[in-house]
Amino acid sequence: MQRRVVFNDKLLPYLLLAPQLAVTLVFFFWPAGQAIQMSVLSQDPFGQSVTFVGLENFREVLADPDYVASFWRTLFFSAMVAVLALVPALVFAVMAERVIRGAGFYRTILVLPYAIAPAVAGVLWLFMFSPSVGIVAYWLKKLGVDWNPKLDGTDAMALVILAAAWKQISYNFLFFLAGLQSIPRALLEAASIDGASEWKKFWTITFPLLSPTTFFLLVVNIVYAFFDTFGIIDAVTSGGPAKATEVLVYKVYYDGVHALNLGSSSAQSVILMAIVIVLTAIQFRYVERKVHY
Amino acid sequence: MTMPTQLTRRAVAAGALAAAVALATGGASAQNRPIEIQMWMGLTGLGGETLVKYGEEFNRMQNEYKVTVSFKGQYPEQRAAAIAAFRAGNPPHIMQMFDAGSGDMMGAKNAIVPVSEVFKRAGLAFNPGDFIAPARGYYGLKDGSLLSMPFNVSTAVLFYNKDAFKKAGLDPNKPPATWPELQKAAQTIRARNAANCGFTTTWLAWIQLEQFGARHNLPLGTQSNGRGGLDSELTFASNPAFVKQVQMLIDMQKDKSFDYKGRSNDASASFQNGECAMITQSSGAMGAYTRDAKFDWGVAPLPYWPDVKGAPYATTVGGASLWVFNAPNRTQAELLGVAKFLDYLRSTPVMIDWAKTTGFLPATNAAFKYLTDEGYYAQNPRAAVAISTLVNGKQGEHTGGYRYGRWTEIRDFYHEEVEKALQGRQTAKEALENAQRRGNAALRAFEKTAVATN
Repeated sequence: MQRRVVFNDKLLPYLLLAPQLAVTLVFFFWPAGQAIQMSVLSQDPFGQSVTFVGLENFREVLADPDYVASFWRTLFFSAMVAVLALVPALVFAVMAERVIRGAGFYRTILVLPYAIAPAVAGVLWLFMFSPSVGIVAYWLKKLGVDWNPKLDGTDAMALVILAAAWKQISYNFLFFLAGLQSIPRALLEAASIDGASEWKKFWTITFPLLSPTTFFLLVVNIVYAFFDTFGIIDAVTSGGPAKATEVLVYKVYYDGVHALNLGSSSAQSVILMAIVIVLTAIQFRYVERKVHY
Repeated sequence: MTMPTQLTRRAVAAGALAAAVALATGGASAQNRPIEIQMWMGLTGLGGETLVKYGEEFNRMQNEYKVTVSFKGQYPEQRAAAIAAFRAGNPPHIMQMFDAGSGDMMGAKNAIVPVSEVFKRAGLAFNPGDFIAPARGYYGLKDGSLLSMPFNVSTAVLFYNKDAFKKAGLDPNKPPATWPELQKAAQTIRARNAANCGFTTTWLAWIQLEQFGARHNLPLGTQSNGRGGLDSELTFASNPAFVKQVQMLIDMQKDKSFDYKGRSNDASASFQNGECAMITQSSGAMGAYTRDAKFDWGVAPLPYWPDVKGAPYATTVGGASLWVFNAPNRTQAELLGVAKFLDYLRSTPVMIDWAKTTGFLPATNAAFKYLTDEGYYAQNPRAAVAISTLVNGKQGEHTGGYRYGRWTEIRDFYHEEVEKALQGRQTAKEALENAQRRGNAALRAFEKTAVATN
């Protein structure tokens, strides 16, 4: 007689999923639902006069030149962060792949920044580049650079881009490294036998075969720059000076928490939600199919 | 490994016993338990620690109430959290709110209980006249009653580095009294390379707009700076004095005789480390400079333009006050506890300790008189500057501050537009006009929701 444990196959899957579903419902769906609800209401901060205004908040947000400017700024910021996080990561990954002695050490060092909380990373960069006390700001001054991210919008933007990109390099590095290791050795060896240079091999074999990874990382990095850089921006520039670093997600926070303009802030959240849904859809449709595991 | 087991067993036994006692005594124990009073504050560091200490001292003095003073983030974050708690029906009993947030709180009539009303309902004596006049004017109504209780009071002053003054060949005992004098001193400091930057400012809008207005008795807007009604329009951009001030900053930025170091308190470090020789700053920074500045420094009243008629006037109050929240489930007993704790905070010994420990100004006349009689200001002339500019300065129609909703946001409009002007992207006049236009739009939106509420 065989001992078999029989589970009620109708109930069990749901039971096992329940904790995760509960977390998702409470922390994702509920707030998202509230954001949608509040985006069609006009109200004072204390909630004493609440009126339904339909899509009025959206109309106001989209007609606001500050919002449009913030949108373009966010695109620029995301593109810069993605490029500055992807290119060095790829270089590091290629280098780390070639290292034989102490490979584990290098890899660990390269992954470390990923473990740092965004706000901490922000403070770190803020401190190094602070015009009054920062060591890098001191060097820049010695070199004759008039460095003042508190007043100069370009300086401020450069600083948040650097900080945001630096933090994401580790993540990209891990994926590139995994991608490199899955490239068939035979192809590279064949190319070597045919006398191809390292440079040629990289551009004709490695880079094309890495393209699914690169595309996946591009989407992930853009999502990161859009949504996860709040902590860095809040710690480094608070969106200033003169809105020079106010990206969309920071504007949602500012308009909601500082300005207490709940209708507009919710409408902006809903727009951001739509953007992340589109990005995720792109990722599933074009990336998941092509990635070979 | 017997220890943990024993401990656990003991803990379980103790817990069970406690539960049994609670069950057995039932309602009786609920009555003996002190009534919880929650107070949220936005202060960190020394100020925060001291305020928490007052809560603990109050708890030791009596056993009817248990006050918990907790930090819930900087003022804007704390305010957002308190409002969310109010909407959920359970706001803190007392909330500390900074000056710029006052207009929003005043607009939320159903959300707060005016402090005068709190004391009246609790049956405790309360005379708004006990508080120093500028604070009374800032947080009070026309009938003399107070909406919130002034607590940490500060005003704007000029701090200057005496060592840098000496190095530049300036008289360290003669700080600049006017803006032209300050500009000249800053240029001399730069020309003789006594410091990398002559002058900087913290709290840009608070000092260069609000305090500047009070010091020259110039209105920020119509309707007595918003006190007369919600339909007040901002008018500062059409006043040449405000424009001149921003123009002066723009001109000085070019040769670093002024250097912009960021919003809020960001610039403070550049005075403290000697980079900037002068700073306009909150008097509340006194404590930090006393402890950390490694040079000889002095304090002077906020400069003024001598060509503005009647100037200088008094500066106006900043800092924060204590607001009492209303909620449907609040009992009379809780209200009484709130009143008693506020009564303790405003008592003369606490006020004196607060002023001496933190460098904030005494909020009550009695505490101010005590410190004066005791010779505290004679011994600490640096501490005397702020309170005497505030209290003994000439009072005018517009020295009593403003009352505007959404003012935190309007301050940021001013910050953004002046930052743009300092970057050379617009003129001083354009900066103020843009700040004013955006400010008026926010005021109209505030008026709309406030009218809908009341």
